[in-house]
Amino acid sequence: MRLEMSSNRQQRLCVAMMRNVGGVIVLSLLLVFVQLAAGESFSPPGTPKNIICRSPEKETFTCWWEPGSDGGLPTTYALYYRKENSDTVYECPDYKTAGKNSCFFNKNDTSIWVTYNITVVATNALGRAFSDPVEIDVVYIVMPNPPEEVTVTVIEDTNWPFLRVSWEPPEKADTRSGWITLIYELRIKLENEDEWEVHPAGQQKVFNIFSLRPDSTYHVQVRCKPDHGFWSEWSGTTFVKVPDYFPRERSMWILIAVFAAFIILTFTFIWLSYMKIHNLKHYVLPPVPGPKIKGFDKKALKNGKFEDIFSSLVVSDFPPTTSNYEDFIVENLEVFVPEEQELIMEDSKDLQDDSIKSENSTCDNDSGRGSCDSHTLLIDKGGGDKEEALQSDQEGSQDERVPTSPEEVMEEDLLACCDEKNSPDISEKVKFTPSLISPLPRYNLMNQPNPPEIGKKHCLSDSLLNPDSLPSYFTQPPSTKNDFRSNPWECNFNHKQHPLHPQTTGKEHLQVQNEISWVHVDRTEASLGVQAPSVRSTEYVEVQRVSGGNMVLLHPVSAGQENSGTMSHQTEHYSRVKTVNNDSGLLLLQKESTGEEMGICLSEEEVESRATSNGYTASITPTSEKPMVGINSTLPILDDRMASGYVDTATMFGLPTY
Amino acid sequence: MAPHIRPVSPLFVALVCLAFCSRLSRMKAASICTNSQTGCHFLSLANLFDRVIHHSARMHGISNDLHSEFELYFLPSKNRVSRNCHTSTILTPNGKENAQRIAREELTEVILKLLLAWRDPLWHFHQNMARHHKFNNLSSNKSLEMSEMVHELRKGVQKVAEKMQMLGIISNSLGTLGSREALLASDSPEWRLMNDYNLLYCFRRDSNKIQNYLKILKCRIVPEHGC
Repeated sequence: MRLEMSSNRQQRLCVAMMRNVGGVIVLSLLLVFVQLAAGESFSPPGTPKNIICRSPEKETFTCWWEPGSDGGLPTTYALYYRKENSDTVYECPDYKTAGKNSCFFNKNDTSIWVTYNITVVATNALGRAFSDPVEIDVVYIVMPNPPEEVTVTVIEDTNWPFLRVSWEPPEKADTRSGWITLIYELRIKLENEDEWEVHPAGQQKVFNIFSLRPDSTYHVQVRCKPDHGFWSEWSGTTFVKVPDYFPRERSMWILIAVFAAFIILTFTFIWLSYMKIHNLKHYVLPPVPGPKIKGFDKKALKNGKFEDIFSSLVVSDFPPTTSNYEDFIVENLEVFVPEEQELIMEDSKDLQDDSIKSENSTCDNDSGRGSCDSHTLLIDKGGGDKEEALQSDQEGSQDERVPTSPEEVMEEDLLACCDEKNSPDISEKVKFTPSLISPLPRYNLMNQPNPPEIGKKHCLSDSLLNPDSLPSYFTQPPSTKNDFRSNPWECNFNHKQHPLHPQTTGKEHLQVQNEISWVHVDRTEASLGVQAPSVRSTEYVEVQRVSGGNMVLLHPVSAGQENSGTMSHQTEHYSRVKTVNNDSGLLLLQKESTGEEMGICLSEEEVESRATSNGYTASITPTSEKPMVGINSTLPILDDRMASGYVDTATMFGLPTY
Repeated sequence: MAPHIRPVSPLFVALVCLAFCSRLSRMKAASICTNSQTGCHFLSLANLFDRVIHHSARMHGISNDLHSEFELYFLPSKNRVSRNCHTSTILTPNGKENAQRIAREELTEVILKLLLAWRDPLWHFHQNMARHHKFNNLSSNKSLEMSEMVHELRKGVQKVAEKMQMLGIISNSLGTLGSREALLASDSPEWRLMNDYNLLYCFRRDSNKIQNYLKILKCRIVPEHGC
């Protein structure tokens, strides 16, 4: 019994023990399962990283670190440091002042110019972790606080307000004792912008900002840095409102106005000087264009003498196609009396005919003076132009009123006479005679019965052509006697010779002088020859020299001297006197044109000479205008006479003047 | 003409020299002084302080550049030898309070000691650099300039000390003490054992000390001029 009771007790104990053990096992298993179900794992802590130490005033400093993973277990951090050249390890005195994961070193613990070796250790239940050591010297880790008491004021004393920014060093930094030297920097921006404008300010604590935009708000910030250290944080933003001001730029506007006016005036002056006054006037009031016709006389237009005007339009060198000589106005009369002509005239008329014939072959009917070769003409004329030779007695006689021998002035001769050059150019002669028409007057102006002196034909033309050369007449040298024969048509214009004094050569020459206004008519032998058949004596114009008044009178020469057969030809070349102006002594000759253009150089020159001369009351003193005018007016009067080709001197004198 | 000029010319030259010399002497004293003597002297002392402080700042800048360059190019090993600067024997205040608490004379003396202690090592350093072409031209020029600056700065500080002694700001016990300790420091062969990197490191720190001490000294003696 007793045995049975003990065994029962033993069995009960075993069961209880087995239950406890099982419970423990189950519990532990449960724990393990629970942990496994949660997913966490414990591990030693991770190493602290990024230890940063900073000192705000170079008297204390603080170190911060980043904790690593804590390993799931509560981890503690400790900071240990060693000072320079010492193996004593100290722990951080203050973990709290600077916040979590920091260590604060107060003044007593801080040594300047001493190297600190700092290590942070993380500890948890499973292990420890040491951070990398960091060596610092407090001098080089100074990062001050931002400047304080930043004030910005708007200074509006002048027209242009500006900002004045002032601040104070941070409280803790002792700059007064010279322990720390700070340099400052400020930045400013408009309210709506994003970019700051940075201004370094050095060690000063005041700064001015200019060029502000009116009516806008600015943000200003300041920061500082020790000479060897880190920049502080930017101070708190200070707002400033710039008032709305209008810049009174009166002086600027005045300056701009002055400059603009100056520039405008300069340009105006340049333009005006460029334009010139009359140009300006023409620019503003353009003149009415007048007729631009060669030979058109505007003055005549004004005077109202339309006939004269239109007559000038006729080109003198235009070969006349009609034989209406009356239509042509002859202004100039070329008369020359070669010496030999007078002699030859009597001697050989046949020669003249021959010469004429020969000449005719060379010259065309329509050809003017220029078409004929004066040289050849002269040569031919040398043969016998006696009939046409002007009496040279006129020249010799000093008395103007000595009746002159009949002289025939050949148009061609005259033309040729005028042409000094070998080629008589009618056009040349025509040029200087505005009213010179091709047909030359055949009237020979005979000054005096002097021996004809053959002058150069060209002298007329030259003198007529060139007013300057008018006084310089060619004087026929006596040695040119041969020339006479060769150039019987040569006129001799010797201004030096007094009209009263006969020429030594004895030739009759018609001198046309500007000053003296004597006209010497030279008899030209060639005058007869040139014209060939035209050289006739039927119609001659005798030039009677008037000593006193420089008057040249034209007398119709009787045709008895010459071959009347050639009258028809002669008529072609005669010039007719149209009007005689008693007062002014104007003698106008109307030329007859047979299709040959002849110009009377002499007459022209004479006319011109008279015109230019002063105080000469020569019979022929035409003005530049008068010949034209006079002719027209007196045309009808002398028509009868003109037709016959004779000009009566008496009639001439009796002609009314205009 | 000649005989008249001769006696005149040396007299003229003498007059000119006198005028110039007087002017120079006046210029040496001070630049802005027109008032009492004491005011002039104080102004000139502040000016002197500014000059030496500027000089020391420049010296520290050069040493900083050289140290950075050395650290960059020569990559000293992490296992740095203990930095035993040969000037560690010189007691220097290592804090603001210490620096302000110390007497002016001592502070001045410390500055002079430091400057004197670095005269020879820097010279040898420059010679070493130039001989072995360890530095480029720019750096070797800097090392030369650094050694020269130490010499000039020491003279400048000596002048300031003399000025202060003349003004009665500090006592006259400066001269002898400073020189003796300095000689001891410079004679120690420790600096020959320093390698280049250590030397540069030490000098950088010491130049910073010098600059800082000078500033403190100035603001203690002439605080009204930019402190």
